[in-house]
Amino acid sequence: MLRVELEPGFILHHRPFRDTSLLLEVLSQAHGRVGLVARGARGSRSRLRPLLQPFRPLLLSWQLRGELGTLTAAEPDGAARPLPAGEALLALYYVNELLLRLTARLDPHAGLFPGYAATLEALRAPGSPAPALRRFEKLLLDVLGYGPDLGFDQAGQPVTGAQCYRYHPAGGLTPCAADAEGALLGTSLHALATGELADARALADARRLLRAALDVHLDGRPLKTRELLRQFRG
Amino acid sequence: MRYPPRLADLIETLRRLPGVGPRSAQRMAFHLLEKDRAGATALAGALTAAVEHIGRCRRCRMFTETELCETCRSPSRDGALLCVVETPADVVAVETGSGFGGRYFVLMGHLSPLDGIGPAELGLDALAAILDEGGVQEVILATNPTVEGEATAHYIAELCARRGIGASRIAHGVPMGGELEYVDSGTLAHAFAGRQKL
Repeated sequence: MLRVELEPGFILHHRPFRDTSLLLEVLSQAHGRVGLVARGARGSRSRLRPLLQPFRPLLLSWQLRGELGTLTAAEPDGAARPLPAGEALLALYYVNELLLRLTARLDPHAGLFPGYAATLEALRAPGSPAPALRRFEKLLLDVLGYGPDLGFDQAGQPVTGAQCYRYHPAGGLTPCAADAEGALLGTSLHALATGELADARALADARRLLRAALDVHLDGRPLKTRELLRQFRG
Repeated sequence: MRYPPRLADLIETLRRLPGVGPRSAQRMAFHLLEKDRAGATALAGALTAAVEHIGRCRRCRMFTETELCETCRSPSRDGALLCVVETPADVVAVETGSGFGGRYFVLMGHLSPLDGIGPAELGLDALAAILDEGGVQEVILATNPTVEGEATAHYIAELCARRGIGASRIAHGVPMGGELEYVDSGTLAHAFAGRQKL
């Protein structure tokens, strides 16, 4: 049996379990994603209830036997931060859905936890959530080993700023004409590689490329939060 | 030991109630059969009648036996105020505890994007139709102070903003008679962010 004490973690998702318990999906620093049962956490007197909310840094203790663990203690890790408003709040759910869909339980991916924490922080800042979301999507693909090679095209030539490219999840980048359908500008690819997504073209190109790269691993099942964001924008 | 099939069935059925496990279900079944057979018949009748006749209000989605519930029909209710809550139990709580005199809209849940509960499941198109009628001047968002409740409130606030209708969120903070020492840090942070001038 594995015992974990005061491990930094975030709740990605919770759902009711039995009469008074919660089933939590947690992203932890050292153990990756874990499924935990929080016994009695839905009871009206539960001390844990206000604490077990998504997007809040926590210190969690649990015991694990088999695939599903039992939460034994939870403490706040630092002060509670206000949630962002509007679209950024829905974007937080999108980030969680990506993690739930693309990561496996008990597979610690180096760099994912700090990247997730930084993304939550970035989405709390005012302004468009898009740059933070693109950086997170790229980070997630990178740590899973599916990250696109943005430095070189399919023929092994370095990507140049002025050239346009087309992206195929299987084959990578191929040079194309600037007016070709799905053309991505070389400077956009450089911007995505460094995470400096400043202008609208770079953001739009990054969005299309990452979406194509992610969709391959979503097995044709659409993301529910993507639909919700679309409806929210009206 | 093995129960007669009908008794086993009764116990199994009683377990559908929230908080009722095998042991309490057995106690209830034995009580009804041993000491209160008339009560059991009354209970069965009440359940059948309730399931048959109680539906949802066409407008606010609260339980009602008529097409429109009493609150929606009442002329003494202030039609300019609309309070949005998650469950019928929340309507009862607001009604008994707040002195609110407007009307309600019951979502029957909250946005839960990862479980596939979106605007359509919460009847937000019906809510939008009420807002489009005009008449409502302020929407009070009384969803639960959870992350999901917050997301739901923001989503509805956006629907209101597009129509130029004011939306407000109920305050959350330290409970009456509470002691700061025992209040969790999230609630305390909210209480400080939402402090009021004296």
